[in-house]
Amino acid sequence: MNSLDFSIVVQAWPYLWLGLVFSLALTAAAFLIGMILGTLFALVQHFEVPVAGRLVRAYIALIRSIPLILVLFWFFFLVPIVLGHLSGTGRPVPIGANWTAFITFGLFEAAYYSEIIRVGLRAVNRGQFEACQALALSTFHTYRCVILPQVLRVASPIILSQTIILFQDTSLVYVLSLTDLLGAASKLAQLNGRLVEMYVVVALVYLGISSAASQWVASLRKRYAMAGTRR
Amino acid sequence: MLQQTAVNVPSRSSAIVAVEKLVKRFGQFTALNDVNLTVAAGEKIVLCGPSGSGKSTLIRCINHIERHDSGRIVVTGVELTDRMTDINSVRREVGMVFQSFNLFPHLSIVENCMLAPIKVRGLSRKEARERAMGVLRRVRIHDQADKYPGQLSGGQQQRVAIARALCMQPKVMLFDEPTSALDPEMVKEVLDTMMGLARDGMTMICVTHEMGFAREVADRVVFMDRGTIVEEADPETFFRAPRTERAKGFLQQIIH
Ligand SMILES: Nc1ncnc2c1ncn2[C@@H]1O[C@H](COP(=O)(O)OP(=O)(O)O)[C@@H](O)[C@H]1O
Ligand SMILES: [Mg+2]
Repeated sequence: MNSLDFSIVVQAWPYLWLGLVFSLALTAAAFLIGMILGTLFALVQHFEVPVAGRLVRAYIALIRSIPLILVLFWFFFLVPIVLGHLSGTGRPVPIGANWTAFITFGLFEAAYYSEIIRVGLRAVNRGQFEACQALALSTFHTYRCVILPQVLRVASPIILSQTIILFQDTSLVYVLSLTDLLGAASKLAQLNGRLVEMYVVVALVYLGISSAASQWVASLRKRYAMAGTRR
Repeated sequence: MLQQTAVNVPSRSSAIVAVEKLVKRFGQFTALNDVNLTVAAGEKIVLCGPSGSGKSTLIRCINHIERHDSGRIVVTGVELTDRMTDINSVRREVGMVFQSFNLFPHLSIVENCMLAPIKVRGLSRKEARERAMGVLRRVRIHDQADKYPGQLSGGQQQRVAIARALCMQPKVMLFDEPTSALDPEMVKEVLDTMMGLARDGMTMICVTHEMGFAREVADRVVFMDRGTIVEEADPETFFRAPRTERAKGFLQQIIH
């Protein structure tokens, strides 16, 4: 094998950049959808809403027991058929690889974020709820202004770990013929034969982004720790 | 069993809090059994009794943090039912201070005081901040307004908790052993704050074993045991000449 030649990376950068942007966009979208839905799912279970609570629990158990790649497949192939039936024509209605990726990742992550938030809700001191009651705050304001902000702060390290896993999992979109950072690198590597260089660079990018995110959350936590109670 | 001494029990009309034949059960256990208590505007009540006698349960029923099983609770003319509109209109007029402060750790001191006035009373942020700063000044803690609860001492936190309740401009204040969780050197600053409130004419129901405070402030001392009110009297009479053996026994324990 030849000696390493990283100049190839400079040439490849524009294509890698596109892949990275896709990875980040998918992560951001899945994070948003996942956190909003996940919070709703957690609240539905927390309030033990009659039917919805059971449905949500079943959904989470199902999603957490199957690999993401399988969910992507199903969503990509089955949903168009279902939509076709619903529309009455019977012909599959394609929803496209991009939509599939964004929706599936969001729905998938919601199950994981929901579990994190559900556990966090149980950890909030009962006195916090009583203080809200004593101040006549509505249930909505109690959760919106007091309980959830505390849950999110306390759970932020776990939420971050899950989001880093999500960021790495975006590489699975290759099954939909989409190209993320890792996909871009491996395609280029096959073309130019510079496997080692391409994968080293990609690893460094993953490392850089993950540690930057960790540090950011750590600094948030430090600010919160200062703002936390003494005992 | 109830021993009434010469205390002028306020008439129903001037009552801010009226509790009649209150019963509260936890499963099989009866925590409150036929409790009657009337509190007039401006009156200061000290509620005492052995641990487990139902003092906390009684004041928690008054703002419906605990739901009572039977009897009537009327606060500022509104009867507490299970309807959320009644519950909230009562809670708006009743401030409560807990043993463990229960400040919101993620909000600064002034934000702790602004939240409910904005969300419940509909004040603007500016109005709420002005009101909060005024009340914080009254409890002499306005110089800490932008700190977080975790940065304050226990005594300071409890004064903030009092301020937070006052910002809703309540007609009654309930205190549940507000100094029990404090280091001894911080008890006085909280009691002083409460005495200030009393001087300003606030109606107060205080669960406390601080007998100095009771002597100075209370119009009536109400002694509870095993879920009932056993004795009520003005503090002088109660401390000097308790009528019941149970109250005597209790006072002996407190003094030692
Ligand atoms: N949530 C609850 N569930 C079951 N029992 C309770 C509950 N809260 C209070 N009790 C019981 O009710 C009795 C009165 O409690 P409490 O009002 O807290 O007493 P006090 O404040 O006078 O010490 C105690 O025996 C206590 O164990
Ligand atoms: Mg108690």
